[in-house]
Parts: sequence; structure tokens; C-alpha cells
Amino acid sequence: MIPDIAVMRTNQAADTKLLEQIADWCERYTPFVALDAPHGLFLDITGAAHLFGGEQAMLAEIRRALTAQKFSVRLALAATAEAAHALSHYKDGAIVPPAQESQAVAPLPTEALNTDPLIIHALKRAGLKTIGQVAARTRHELAARFGGAFITLLDRTQGRKGGPITPRSILPDLMAERRFAEPVVTQAMIAETLLSLGESLASVLASRGQGARVLEASFFRADGQTRRIAIETGRATREPKIIERLFREKLDALCDPLDPGFGYDLIRLSATFAQTAQADAVSFDTNAHDADIALLADKLAARFGGHRVMRFAVQDTHIPEAASVAVPAQHYEESKLAWKPMRAVEDAPRRPLRLFAKPEPVEVIAEVPDGAPARFRWRHALHSVIHAEGPERIAMEWWKHQDDVPTRDYFRVEDDAGRRFWLYRDGIAREIAHPRWYVHGLFA
Amino acid sequence: MSVVSFKQDSPFRHAEIGVTSNYSFLRGASRPNELMSAAILLGLDAIGIADRNSLAGVVRAWDALKQIKEQHSGNVPKLLVGARLVFVDGTTPDILVYPIDRAAYGRLCQLISKGKHRAEKGDCILCLADLLECHEGFLLAIVPPARPGTETEKTLARLNGVAAGRVWLAASMLHHGNDEKRLQELHRIAQVARVPLLAFNDVLYHAPDRRELQDIVTCIREHVTLDAAGRLLEANAERHLKSPTEMSHLFRKFPQAVKETLRFASFVKFDLGEITYNYPEEPVPKGKSPDEHLADLTWQGAAQRYGIVPPEVEKTLHKELTLIAKLEIAPYFLTVHDVVHFAKEEGIFCQGRGSAANSAVCYVLGITAVDPTKTDLLFERFVSQERKEPPDIDVDFEHERREDVIQNIYKRYGHKRAALTATVITYRPRSAIREVGKVFGLTEDVTSALVSTLWGSGDYESWGEKRHARMRQAGYQGDNPLLEKAGRFAKELCGFPRHLSQHPGGFVLTQDPLDTIVPIGPAAMKDRYFIEWDKEDIDALRIMKVDVLALGMLTCVRKALSLVAGYTNKKFALADIPAEDPKVYDMLCKGDAIGVFQVESRAQINMLPRLKPREFYDLVVEVAIVRPGPIQGNMVHPYLRRRSGKEKVEYPSPTIPGSDPDELIPVLKKTLGIPLFQEQAMKLAMVAAEFTPPQANGLRRAMATFRNVGTIDKFKDMLIDGMTRRGYQQEFAERCFKQIEGFGSYGFPESHAASFALLVYVSAWIKKYHPAAFCCALLNSQPMGFYAPAELVRDAREHNVEVRHPDVNRSEWDNTLEFTLDGTPILRLGFRQIEGFKEVWWTEQIAKSRGNGFATFDAFARRAKLPKRALIVLAEADCFQSLDLDRRESLWAVRRLPDDEALPLFAAQFVEDMPSENITALPVMPLSEHTLADYQMMRLSLRAHLLQFLRETFRAEGLASCHDVLNARDGDHVRCAGIVITRQMPGDAGVVFITLSDETGVCNAVVWNSVFERWRKEVMGSRLMVIEGKIQRSEDNVVHLIAEGFADRTAELDKLSEDHPPADGSAPAVNMHRHPRNVRVLAKSHDFH
Repeated sequence: MIPDIAVMRTNQAADTKLLEQIADWCERYTPFVALDAPHGLFLDITGAAHLFGGEQAMLAEIRRALTAQKFSVRLALAATAEAAHALSHYKDGAIVPPAQESQAVAPLPTEALNTDPLIIHALKRAGLKTIGQVAARTRHELAARFGGAFITLLDRTQGRKGGPITPRSILPDLMAERRFAEPVVTQAMIAETLLSLGESLASVLASRGQGARVLEASFFRADGQTRRIAIETGRATREPKIIERLFREKLDALCDPLDPGFGYDLIRLSATFAQTAQADAVSFDTNAHDADIALLADKLAARFGGHRVMRFAVQDTHIPEAASVAVPAQHYEESKLAWKPMRAVEDAPRRPLRLFAKPEPVEVIAEVPDGAPARFRWRHALHSVIHAEGPERIAMEWWKHQDDVPTRDYFRVEDDAGRRFWLYRDGIAREIAHPRWYVHGLFA
Repeated sequence: MSVVSFKQDSPFRHAEIGVTSNYSFLRGASRPNELMSAAILLGLDAIGIADRNSLAGVVRAWDALKQIKEQHSGNVPKLLVGARLVFVDGTTPDILVYPIDRAAYGRLCQLISKGKHRAEKGDCILCLADLLECHEGFLLAIVPPARPGTETEKTLARLNGVAAGRVWLAASMLHHGNDEKRLQELHRIAQVARVPLLAFNDVLYHAPDRRELQDIVTCIREHVTLDAAGRLLEANAERHLKSPTEMSHLFRKFPQAVKETLRFASFVKFDLGEITYNYPEEPVPKGKSPDEHLADLTWQGAAQRYGIVPPEVEKTLHKELTLIAKLEIAPYFLTVHDVVHFAKEEGIFCQGRGSAANSAVCYVLGITAVDPTKTDLLFERFVSQERKEPPDIDVDFEHERREDVIQNIYKRYGHKRAALTATVITYRPRSAIREVGKVFGLTEDVTSALVSTLWGSGDYESWGEKRHARMRQAGYQGDNPLLEKAGRFAKELCGFPRHLSQHPGGFVLTQDPLDTIVPIGPAAMKDRYFIEWDKEDIDALRIMKVDVLALGMLTCVRKALSLVAGYTNKKFALADIPAEDPKVYDMLCKGDAIGVFQVESRAQINMLPRLKPREFYDLVVEVAIVRPGPIQGNMVHPYLRRRSGKEKVEYPSPTIPGSDPDELIPVLKKTLGIPLFQEQAMKLAMVAAEFTPPQANGLRRAMATFRNVGTIDKFKDMLIDGMTRRGYQQEFAERCFKQIEGFGSYGFPESHAASFALLVYVSAWIKKYHPAAFCCALLNSQPMGFYAPAELVRDAREHNVEVRHPDVNRSEWDNTLEFTLDGTPILRLGFRQIEGFKEVWWTEQIAKSRGNGFATFDAFARRAKLPKRALIVLAEADCFQSLDLDRRESLWAVRRLPDDEALPLFAAQFVEDMPSENITALPVMPLSEHTLADYQMMRLSLRAHLLQFLRETFRAEGLASCHDVLNARDGDHVRCAGIVITRQMPGDAGVVFITLSDETGVCNAVVWNSVFERWRKEVMGSRLMVIEGKIQRSEDNVVHLIAEGFADRTAELDKLSEDHPPADGSAPAVNMHRHPRNVRVLAKSHDFH
């Protein structure tokens, strides 16, 4: 047993994303990179190996670079993707000389064939435990049992009739990019590029009825460095001007400003998180109030950071002081719980206009055990109670406290000067013999 | 329960109406008896239980009150039986309904039944109109919502229009801050409607400290966590039972509303005790009284059983019949006889169990199979005039044909008059922790870690103590306060009802419609209906029921006897088995009892050589002795010592003058002075501790159920004081009590043990003389018993039964017998042993096309027209051996067939057109792989034991085989590897028995609690296990391995299939895709908790 092992739930989406990131990164070796999901990548290095000092050296370089990034890696190089797949899984580091794939894969276990596990199971059950044993059967026999596709796979694994790999495609409708023959350096040019990319993106988003919540701009420098800048919006957006403006705010606020160096040869704008958006989200003219707040929040957040811009949200709880809480404005969502109406329109309010952050102790004369206050002294002033209503009995959320916390009996009282207070007795008869009193808020 | 009945010295009086118990599932947070006790302490005049559209909790409340009355003098509150009707139509407020008399009560039951029949899953769908149809004799109190509106006024007006004078408006103080205003408003509404205002507190629990549990059940109900529940929860803890003083204080502005509660209560004249019960008339022929008919049947039966009825039997029968007539319970016997008679005519084996075996009438009627005059059983233990309890006749039927019996009951009596009793499904530690954990927002990992460290549901108490240790074991901080809280509330939730379910076979049969006695609702199973009360409820109300139970062994015996009849031409009935055959006892004395009814468990098999049964009564003792009662009472060893003559048979005597020193001899003579049976323990309480019969009965009931938690201590003192006062030794008295305590959970009365002992003998006789048929019948009756097919087959082979592999040309669905030339039976395994093989493939395809057999694989494929999937299963299971195809060859052949999922019609055609194929031989499958494949397909192998292939590895590690263990010396230290066949934890004895098996035999290990705690994970999780420990060899040469340490070697099994390591010697990097069959090599062992 390893007591301090960190166990995490499988997150397939994250795994896929990571694999794609590695694939991205691998594009530095060859433009032809394909996914071999769930855990592999194919690199077609035809004509590329010499750039890295030959096959051996290239393999070593890839291994070094990936290992440096703390990935464990198994590599193999062969004439076909299928052969490379088989070898990488069972013979790490193999480089197969031309036309020798057949011998190279023969001793590998049948599982090395990249095919349906049911077929593997069937082959093994038949006693065919290596690729060599499988290949020794007649094509006829195998084709009758496992179909033509299997024969093709077997052939390819043996290095015959290799097929092209399918370079992975990037979802084009969420991404727009522009390449420059002449690298760009000026802010104006960058802004203009972002605007035009935003326009392309907007048209795609509009066609899907979507807007972007998270946008990312990638700046590829000619010398291979990349810089990625992301912005978030509070409402789904596809207005190019707003996008451009938000990026401008963000770029201006960067403590580590963009350094174009010798210029960018590629700028890419992608909507990394898109959401269904109403048509009116394109323009902020309608529903102006909410939209203004959202835009203001976005602008402020772009400048000061999302965690600094807050908004109050309703909480579903009996505890008065916990009934609202400040949340980052960009993440504010209309609560599904909303307010359960506590009163009818004609009733008097049951919560004070002003709730004290910290209830203030008062001296109270009240009927025991559960009567309303008759007189109380607060901040040295004595108030005589003319009207009182209550108690509203609120018990604390016991699961949040280690010890017993007293139940509160709230009273709405009006003094002889017409002032209204929200007082509570901290503890009811069965809990505390001599409870203290507090004023928790003012009605008017 | 030390409840003192007193009325508070207070001028105030109050009756609490509309109390919700925990039978309003996941709403109420107090048990009915807690509410009753609280009502007494508070000095309420009356308490009205009203659960949501249900009467499920009222009997418990009624019974709790009755018991308190029996034990204490003084006033107790009146119980009002009613329900809170919750309607589906729009905003109709809830209405509390209390029937004033028996007739109105019947209408309420029918109303709820009606609602239940409309709904599924125990729901009840009611509309106000339904109530208006049958309101006669109902007291109706409307529960207005927090903001009473026009709907309340309208409903009041509607009700008052038809039931003027019987309508109230219930008002509660919600403590929402506007109580006074709301009360004024309700007062106004009531005045307008001209109905009285009725004070109540809408009680959800008996005491304020239950608020927390109520919050939790609310969260469970609403599927939210506490943090997310918000205002779904009550704001405070006010909805508890309040004293008259408190209620009067709350309603000080409207004292009349409190007074009104007393008037309300005074209208109710109905008491649950009035429920009377009548029997179906069908079994009694016209023109005869039930008594006459029973007498006729009895004498007819006696003549059949005995020929000439012996005079003492005649005397007994007369005596019984007189008492039956006196208690007017003849119809009950006739009803049971009717059910049994049907079964017998259909050839369904059945046999009464339990105390009915005390009755000679039951014996001659064919209900039971043990002759009570021979075993000296007493009718008074079954039916007694003093006890005034209904007799309880439970009948076991073959488990596979019980459904026929049940359907016949419905056919004969109809759904209105025959229904099953309910089983209250309660929270057990596992379910409680799971649910409470969710509510606390614990991740599933944490709760399942909490759950998975539990063994079954039995060791709940020890869970509390060992929680910390186990949590650490599971990798969590043991004393985390949140876990601590979750654990505490899980404990509180334990025993709370979750829902009602049907009892498997307890039928209530009546003449009058049953739905005027208790609400009936549909069960999950189609055409099954069950009442809202469980066995204990109907016991408390003295309603009689017939238990139609299922017993696998009866099926097995019937199957075995018909197989035997097939080749011996002798038809055996149960009664025809030669009695008292010494060879059968010889076999049992050796502990050779795998598959034998009741005595096949590890503990029993160990007991057999020590007890050395030589006659029928020994089997009765054997069955009863390995039970928690005698074990906890430390009665086992004294009995064994006396039996083997090592200890003198003595009888404890009272020492006080004037008492009979031999008073216990009649009680304990049969069991050598040691109390072993439930009746003896009870009798002991009466004779030695001078319990009155009602006290003894109370003791028995206190033991039998959880519902009277707390009463047990009182009886403990009574018993021990009573015995020591009369001069018995303290230590003996304590042992007696411990034993009684043990009986509480799993008591065996002598009569029950005798019924079972008969099946022990019968099954042992079959095993002795017809081992092939016995094994065959056992396999065909699975699932049943303690052992997996692999062990049963192995046992049969050890008894020289030849067992053959399933084959397409020989096997049927069931296992069958074949015969050698000299007629020796051979067991042929059937297709049912093959995992994934469907019965229809046999019945519809192979059976219909086999004819004289299939000559070739192609012929089989062509004629049987099985889907490719089926052929693959058959090939994987190596079922083509008679066609000279081994597993590999047949699989290779099957693979060639076209995929028929898409084009089923063409597949068979294709087979005909398929050209023959000339292929080179496939590599020969090694034995280890064959064996493994056998296990994967059938969970057993006739070729070899898996351990054989690991022997070399294990020997190199110095591990002993099971055979080595068997021959080791006492005290030797060994390590032994084997496949776990059983893990048993009998009762709460604090010990786990593990049986390991390898190619040389089996090894029995004992794990004491302290060791188990340390190695819990390995003990529970391993399939292939290494046990390290000390050999313990008893005087009777029974060898045990006393475990001290464990290792989980399950992974070794996987290596058997991975016979080709990867080329570079390392494990494959990615092994995501595994065939499911490869993942689990072995079936789970049979675990018993």
C-alpha cells in the first residue's frame, strides 16, 4: 500500500485535451501529426528526419523533450503507422530498417494489433498469441473470420501497403487565424487583425446561435515562441468590436506586455468556450441594464482581475446574515432558487432594510420565557417598545458548527419614536437560562 | 422502558392531533413508540397519529401504548387512529381524518387502498372528491398552508356542506414571526365557515433534539445536501410534541382552540383492538361447521398416517381438537390445510416448519412431517389457552414452484380477500451511511469507503467502536468531525423505515373484504398486493396468516428423488425414506455433509464429528446447537462434554426451602441438563425465575424485535434476580439470559429444529446412497445452499461420481444423469452451468433439432440455427468434444460463420453454402489455459485445479498445500495458498471462517476478530489468498489453521492467461481494452454474513 498516493478520477475530456496539446506541440517536428487516441500520436516524419540529424537522433530528441515535460513516453519508428503503433507499445525505441517490419513485429503479442479486443480475444483463444503466429495463417482463413479490414491491418502492421495518416483537424468554426508573410509588430496591426478575426468568428458563432464566453488569442512569433492571452466575458458575446476592446483592455493591463520580438507570423483567435446566446446578445442595445452591468463587469475585470469585481447573489438559507453573498460579477448567475416570496405585497417587510454586519448587544426587558421586548437600551439610548411582532424563531445550521449554537427569536419592534428595529434573543428557554439580546438591523 | 405514567401537575390539558411518525417516510423523525412515550411523559390526554395517506405506523403506536399499559398503572393517553390525507388536486390543503368507529375506519382503509391502487411504488393518489364520497363517520381537520387563502376557505365550505359538525380548522404556531396575525386570520376563516379552531403543532418528532435527524431525512427525500437544502428545511426545532402547558401558552389568545382538542378526541370511539377477523368459508363444505369438518379431516388423516390409530395418538388428537374448538380457530387449520392440499395434488413438495410441528392435528393433516408423539413435542407450545396468541403455521414449498401455490391462493380467494403482509424495509448501517453521507456532501469515495469497511449489516454496534480504526484503514483521517457527525446520524437513522415491501409469502386470508381492515396496495410484482402492516403488526392484532415460504432444499429433494425414481424404479415420497439408517449417521459423523440441508456450513461440519449424531433427535440438537443462542450462552461445550460422558449430567437446583430441587429436570432432561432450545429457555424463566406466562411472553417478544429497545434490560434483571433469589448460581442465570438474548435474533424452537432435522436426514440419505442424483439435483436447484457448483462437483467426484463436461450431443439445460453399462449413474453437466448460455437456446433450438445427434459441426450449425453468439459461448465452453473438436478448433470454426446479428436469415443458408476449409492445425491449447477457460465459462473445471499451475511458484515460496495443512502437527506454523470458496461470519460470534481450496483439498481457517480487523481488506477482497497461521488440531482430529496474517495473491490468476510476456519483458503500456471475460477469472466466493 502506498498511503500518500494521490488518486484522481479519470477525466477523459482532459486527457483528450492534453493529448491535443502534445499534438500541437509536436507540430514543431512535422506538420503531419495525427491522434492515436486515447494515448498515442502518429508523426509522419517523411522527409523531416534529416532536419533533426537522422531518425535515431530525432527519436532521441523527441524522447528527451517529452521526458523533460514529465511525460512517460514510448516511441517506435516504422514504415507504417500500424507497425509503429505495435512496436511502440511492446518494443520501446525500435527503429525498423526498411522492409523488415514483418520480422520486427512477428514476436510481438497479438494485443499489439490495433484492433477490436474481441478479435484479439478470439485469436488468443485459438492459440495465436503472437503476430507472427497470426500472420502464418492463410489470408483466406483470417479474412473469413475477421473480415477484410483485419487483413489490411495485419498487412500494414507488417509494413506492407501503408496508408497515409489523417492529420488531426482543428475545429475550424471556433477558430480563426491569419498568417503573415511579413511578421507584424505594431499594436495597430494587432488590433486590426483581432478585429477582423473577431468578425470571422462572429459569423460562425452567429450561424450556430452561439456566443463566446472565453476567447483566446494566440500570437505565434516567427522564432517559435507562442503567447496566449485569454479573456472571459460575463455574457455570451459575438460582437467583434467588444471582443477587440476587451483584448485591448487586457493587453494594456498586462504586467508582462506582449513582446513581438521579430514579429508574429501567425495570429489565431479561438473561442474556447462558446454558449448558446440570444440574438440580442450580438448587440447590447436591448436589455440595456443587465447588458451594461455585464459589460461594465467585463471591462473592470479585464483591467483589475475577475476576482476583484463582485456582485451580490441570493442564498437559499434561513440565516439572515447568510442570505446574500458576494460573488465575482462575471460568474454571477441568476439563482435558480431565487427568492421564495416571504411575504405578500400587502404585508410589512420581515427583513430589515439595513442588516448589521455584526449584531450589536442590547439590554432588554422582556417577558420570560418567550415574550417580546418591552424596553431596550441600545448605544446608551433607552427605547420603549410600542409595538412588537414575533417571535420568528431561527435555529442555526447545526451541521456547520461543532458546538450547539443558540436558536434566535427575532422580533420586529417599533419604539415610541416610530423607529423600527430588528431584535433577537440569542437562545430560547430550553437552551439558555439567561439569553442575551442583540439588535440585528433597522427597518426605517 | 422506564416510562412512568404521570400527568403533570398542571391545570392545562391537551390532545395532540395530526402527529407524523417516521412511517410518513422521510418526513417524520420519531418512531411511534417514542411518540407514545413522550405523550405519556408530557401528560397528553390523547395523541392522534396521522401519517401521509397511510396507516402503516398505527399498530406500532397502539402496541407500544398497550405494552406500557400492561406494565404500568396510571393514565395513558388515548390513541386516535387516523391519517393525513394529502391530495393531488391542485392546492387542496391536507386533511387530517380520524374515523369515529369501526365502520368509518373500514371506509378510511378502503379510501387509502383506492389511492394506492391508482399509484405505483407505494404512492397514493387521492382527490378531494374521493374523500367526499366516503366521509361518513370521519372527523375532518383541515391543515391550512403557511399562508391560508381562498383554497382553505373553499375546502372548509365544501366539507362543512356535507359533514357539518365534523369539520375543524387546525391551527399551528409556526414561529415564522407572524404567528399572531396568522392565528387571527385563521380564527376569522373558521368563524366565517362556522367551524371550530383546533390547536395543534403539526408534530414531526417527539422531542426538539430530533430536528437534526428531521433535516437529514428531508434532504434524503429531496435529494439535496444539507448545504444546498436551504429553506427546504424547517427554520427551527419547534415541531415537537409539546406539553399542555406549552400549548396553552402558545394559544393563550385562543384557549378555546386547545380545549377543542379534547372535544375532538372524545368523539373518537374507535380502538384498533376492535378489529375482528373472520376466516374464508371456502374450505368448509356446506352444511358442516368448521369444527366438524376439521374433525373429519383429522380422523381421515390419522387413518392414513397410522392405519390403526394408536390410543395415545387418539387421545392427543381429541385433546387438540377440543382446544381448537374452544379457541374457535378450526377455520385457520382448514385454511392452511386447503393450501397444502392444493400443493400436494400438484405434486409440489411442502412441509410445515416452526411451532406447528408440535401439533398432532397438523401432522395428520399432512401440514407437518414430524410425528409429535414420537418426538415428545407439546401442543401447548403451539396453541395455548393462556397465551391467547394466534397459532403460527409456516409452510415451506419448493422454491421453484411456490409461485403456483400463490397463484392458486389468489384464484381461490381473490385479490380483495387475500393479500401478502408487508415487510418494512428499514435503514441498515450500510444504507444509512450511504444516504447520510450524501446529505453531508461526502463524496461517494468516502461513503463507499465507510460502507466497504463494514461487513454485512450485523456488526452495527461494533461499527461505532471501530469506526476510527476502519476509516484509517480505508485511508481517511479517522476522527474527522464531519465523518463523526455523519456516523452519528447514520446510527440514529438505523432502523427507520424506508418503504414498505411485500413479504415473500405471508398471506392474510379473510372472508370479508380485507381492505376494510387495513389498506392494501399493489406490489412491484404484477398482480401482487400487500397490506400496510407487517408480521408483527398483525401478530399484535391477532390476525392470523399463513406463511407460504420457499425452501430450496425441498426443490432439490424433489428433483433428486425423481432422478432416483428414474433409475431404480422406486418412487419415493418423503415419508418412504428408510429411517434411522446407521450408514447415514456414519457419514454425518465424519463431517461429510457438503450439500446436506442445514448442516453443511463450516460451523456445522465442524460440530458433526464432535456431536456424533446417531439418531434423529441428535440431528434436532445438531440443527439447534450451532446457533447464536446456545453459542452466546456458552451451552455448546457443556453439552458436548456431557454427551461424551466427560461430565456428569446434573440439573441446577434452587436452594431455598420448600422448592422442588428437581424442578428443572422435566425442562432439561432431553438435552442433558443444558438448555438448547428456545422453549427451554422460556420454560426456565417460568420455572426457575417464576415468570408469569404473560411475563415470559413479554420476554419472548422483547427478544424477538428491535421495536422494544430498552425493555430487555428490565427482563434481564427480572430473570437473574428471580433465579438467584431462588438459589440458582448467578453465573448459570447469566448464561441463561445470554442465551435468551441470542435467541432473540436467531432462535430455534425445538419443533422448528425437528422439522428441519427431518430434511437433514432425508438429504443426507440421498447424498449417502445416490450421490450423483444428489449433486445433480443440487446443481439444478441453484442458487441455494452454502457452496458454489465447483465445490458441489468436487464433492461428488470425491464420492466416486463420474462427472462429464457439457456437450452439444449429450447435455440438456439441466444437469442430467447418464449411465455406464452396469447402470452406475454419471453426472452430465448441463448447459445451465455455462455462463451466458440462454435457456431458450436449448429449449427452442438444440432440443428441437438434435434428434439422434449431430455428426459434424456444420450439421449442428445448420440444424440448430443458433445465433453466432450462442455458438461462440458453446465453443468457448468446449462443448463440441463429441464432434472431435476441441475448444480452439470449434472456436476457429465458429468464427468463420457470418455475423448474423445483421442478417439472421442468411446465416443458416450461408452455412450450407460454405465451402469446406482445409486448414493446418492450430497450436494445442495447454492444460492450464483449458482449465482457466473452463473456470471462465463454468466457474469450475473437471480437468484440473487452477492452483496446480501455480504450485511450482508457491512451492518455491515455501507455501504449503491444503493437504500439507491437513497433515501438519498441532502448533506448526504454516503458510497456505488457495482459492477462497467461502467466507462465513456466523451471527456476531466475532470470528470469520474461511475455506481455501487447492488441487489437494481444502483448508479451513479461522480468523479471530482482532486479526480480522487488521487484515480486513485482504480477508474481504482476495480470491486467491495466502493465509499464514498456526495449526490447531483438536482431539477429534479436526484441523484448523488459526490465521495470523494474509496476502492477496489474486493477481497470480491473471498470469495464467498471460502466458506470453511482452517481447521486451515489460508489461504493456496501455491495457485499456480487455475482454470482460478476461477481467474476472474467478467467480466471487460465496460469502455469508
